Amino acid sequence: MGAPFEFGYVLDYLVKLLPAINITLVIVASSIVLGLAIGFVVALPQLYNIPVLKRLSQIYLSFFRGTPVLIQLFLFYYGLPEMLKLIAIDTAKVPALYFVILTYALHSGAFMAEMIRAAVASVDRGQVEAAYSVGMSGPQAFVRIVLPQALATALPVFANLVIANLKDTSLAFTLGIMELTGKSQTLAVMSRHFLETYIALAIIYFLISFVLERLFLLLERRLQRKGLAAI
Amino acid sequence: MIKLSQIRKSFGRNEVLKGIDLTVKRGEVVAILGPSGSGKTTLLRCINYLEKPSAGGITIGDFRFDYKNHGKKDVHALRQKSAMVFQQYNLFRHKTALENVMEGLVIVQKVPKEEARERGIELLEKVGLGGRLNAYPNELSGGQQQRVGIARALALNPEVILFDEPTSALDPELVGEVLAVIRHIAQEGITMIIVTHEMAFAQDVANHVVFMDGGVIVEEGDPKQLFRSPKEERTKQFLKRITPESAYSI
Repeated sequence: MGAPFEFGYVLDYLVKLLPAINITLVIVASSIVLGLAIGFVVALPQLYNIPVLKRLSQIYLSFFRGTPVLIQLFLFYYGLPEMLKLIAIDTAKVPALYFVILTYALHSGAFMAEMIRAAVASVDRGQVEAAYSVGMSGPQAFVRIVLPQALATALPVFANLVIANLKDTSLAFTLGIMELTGKSQTLAVMSRHFLETYIALAIIYFLISFVLERLFLLLERRLQRKGLAAI
Repeated sequence: MIKLSQIRKSFGRNEVLKGIDLTVKRGEVVAILGPSGSGKTTLLRCINYLEKPSAGGITIGDFRFDYKNHGKKDVHALRQKSAMVFQQYNLFRHKTALENVMEGLVIVQKVPKEEARERGIELLEKVGLGGRLNAYPNELSGGQQQRVGIARALALNPEVILFDEPTSALDPELVGEVLAVIRHIAQEGITMIIVTHEMAFAQDVANHVVFMDGGVIVEEGDPKQLFRSPKEERTKQFLKRITPESAYSI
């Protein structure tokens, strides 16, 4: 079993874990940005009812929402190189981090798509008609009238997704990524102070989540002042 | 002059407009009456292509539009000839009263912002909302929202303003203020087509009344004549049901 509990290790490891925050944040930031882009592309066929693409996006959604992210990580990390080999692309030199980011981007993309679809649908049709009636084109109506309101509606959901994504990144250690959880694993195994390490780790995750939550709350308040209250 | 010819529209198998012809002269105020389901709102929405008619055409001034053969640009042009006031107001909820009025001017007509702002203020003052320029729609009463809607339509300086039951969603005590505004702008000679259930108002403000039922125009003519001595049996029945004797005997 582990070494006897010593509180000093918690503080010590808090400091030692700090550099690993970078990798965690890189995974979160890049997968959220990519996920948003994927979400938009996937939501469009649903919103505009485009026959074949709509079906494809539904398959994508049900796969990524219906399987655990840990399994998705394994499938992409071990499966994708095999598939790429078939078309003569060698991925042996591609860092594991890229596979991790890709998986998280596709995973959060599915949830982003649903978020965008729901938010856009929540803007009532009458305002679009009003936009047309003042002479706006379809894209103008979407960008000027629908999108700002949809974004405000989506913000609380988006905040949830970012925080969930942050915590999901802890699974990346299974592929040997030295992000927060991965780093804590090595510290814990070396010193055998398991409990102290995980307390330090929990504190760090909590603090990041807390800061993110506050930031999103501030943003929401600002939007509310502009009449864009989420319903 | 606006001329609708042979407008047809079906929802599935249900034909709601069965070949409508209507001519509206410049500066005329036309009221369209009729029971629900008669197609009057659909007709109004066909004029600016919010509904797509299955056949027919429209001429506004020297602009001709064929509902079957047209490009995107034609739709755009058609919509710029008219403006609409909606039953549910349909204000842009994330914009202030003033921004709602300015939006079409700045984005569509490319009017410089300062000029659009001045015009917006002027119009909101005209509809009695000079003190609520920076209020958001959810801070305004139904009557106030509808008056912003009217100012938004006026701002575009359209050939015709289409009113789709502008007072139907309002509390009874707020109807008066909106009708007063419409009456006021009617006197300025702006062409208007109004779908309404307010018989007394139609009689008072309109120069021409159209009675629709079952997707056709049953009868049209001078309001006094149509209200007092309708020719068609269907019109008589409708007016009897909807207006008590006293309301239309002036």
